Amino acid sequence: MTDARKLQGDKLSEAEAIERAKQGDAEAFQLLYGLHKRRVYSLCLRMTANTAEAEDLTQEAFLQLFRKIATFRGESAFSTWLHRMAVNVVLMQLRKKSLPVVPLEETLENEEEAPKKELGAQDPVLSGSIDRLRLQSAVDALPPGYRRIFVLHDVEGYEHNEIAAMVGCSIGNSKSQLHKARMKLRESLKTSRAEKAAKP
Amino acid sequence: MNCVQFQEILPEVLEGGRTAEQESHLKSCPMCSGLVADLDLIAREARQLQAAAEPSQRVWNSIEIALRQEGIIRDPRLGPSLVPARPRRWSMAWLAPVAALVLVAFGIVIYQRGSRDSRLAAHLDTTTPSLVAILPNSQKPSNVNNNNSEDDQLLAAVASRSPAMQAQYASNLRNVNAYIKDAEESAQADPNDEEAQQIVMDAYEQRATVYEMALDRSLP
Repeated sequence: MTDARKLQGDKLSEAEAIERAKQGDAEAFQLLYGLHKRRVYSLCLRMTANTAEAEDLTQEAFLQLFRKIATFRGESAFSTWLHRMAVNVVLMQLRKKSLPVVPLEETLENEEEAPKKELGAQDPVLSGSIDRLRLQSAVDALPPGYRRIFVLHDVEGYEHNEIAAMVGCSIGNSKSQLHKARMKLRESLKTSRAEKAAKP
Repeated sequence: MNCVQFQEILPEVLEGGRTAEQESHLKSCPMCSGLVADLDLIAREARQLQAAAEPSQRVWNSIEIALRQEGIIRDPRLGPSLVPARPRRWSMAWLAPVAALVLVAFGIVIYQRGSRDSRLAAHLDTTTPSLVAILPNSQKPSNVNNNNSEDDQLLAAVASRSPAMQAQYASNLRNVNAYIKDAEESAQADPNDEEAQQIVMDAYEQRATVYEMALDRSLP
C-alpha cells in the first residue's frame, strides 16, 4: 500500500490531505478516495464477486472512514486503518444481507464441489505464470466460504490469526479452508487451460 | 510416507517448516512436488488481483453527496453557511415537518400581530422596504414571486419585535436566496445531476432554518 508521499508539485501529500479532510476540505476527501479506491473496491469485488454489491460496499466503507476521520491520530498507517475498516464493512454487510455466507465448517454444499485428491497418474502442472483474468474468473467461481478466506489471505495478505478473529473461526479452520480454496482453483485453472488447448 | 499421508498434512506443509520425511517424499514424488509447486504459484499470483479493479464514478458521487448532506464536507466555494453545521441526525426526512412547523408558527405570528396592532402592521407595510426592491437585478431570485412576499412578511415580523435584527436577517435572506438561485440554475442545466439536485434541497433547508431562527426571536 502506498505510503504518504508528495504527489507532484504543490499537490497534497496523504498526511496533508488527512489534516485538511478533518477540516472538511472536499478536495482532500477526494484525494484520499482516489489513493485508496482501487484497493478497497478490489477487496469488495473479490469477496462478493458482484460489481454492484462491491460498489455499494466500497461506498459504505469510505463513508464510515470519512465520518471517523477526525479520530485518526496517526498511530497506524492510514491505509491499514482504512483496509481493516473495509474488511469489517464487507463481512458485516455479507452477514446482514444474508448473501451466501456459508458456515466455514460446512462450506461444501455437496461432495461434488470438494477438490479432488491428487492420486494416481500425474497431471500436467501449472507452469510459469497464471493469466490474471483466468485467475480472477476462477476466484469468482469459488464457493463463498473458500473465496472469503482465499481473498483475505492470499490476495490481501492477512495472517490466519487475523482472519480467524475477523471471520469468527479457528486458525485451523482458516488454514483448511485456504488449502481447499487453492486446490479448487488449481482444478479450475487446469480445466480452463485444457479447454483452451483443445480448441482448434 | 505415501501420497495420501503427505496430502493430508499438505496445509501445514505449505505454511512452511517441512520435516525431513516430507522433504524426502517431495523429492521422490513428482506428483506431490508438482502439486506443491502449483499451489505455491497460485498463492503468489493471487497478489496481482489486489487493487486490480476500479469502481465507477457513481461511487464517489454518492460519497460526496452524503458527506455534504451530513456537513462533513464544508466547501468554502459556496461561502460560509448561514447556519451552524447541522447535526448528523438532520436528514431530508426532517425537512417536511420543519417546513410545516415554520409555516404554521409564522401564520400564528402574523395573525396575532395583525389582530393585536393593525396600525403598527400598516405602518410597517409602508415603511419596511420590499426585499426585492432593494436587491440588485442580478440577485433577484428566480422564484421571486413566491419567496418575496414570504420574506417581506418575515422581515416585517422581525422588525416589529427586534428592529436591530432586521438588517441581519435581510442580509441572510439575500444570501440564501442567491444560493437557491445558483443551485436551481445548476440543477436545471443538468436535470440528471444528482449532486445539483441535492444542493438545491440543501439550499431550501437553509432557508427554512433562517425562518426558524427568525421566528424564535419574533415569537412573544
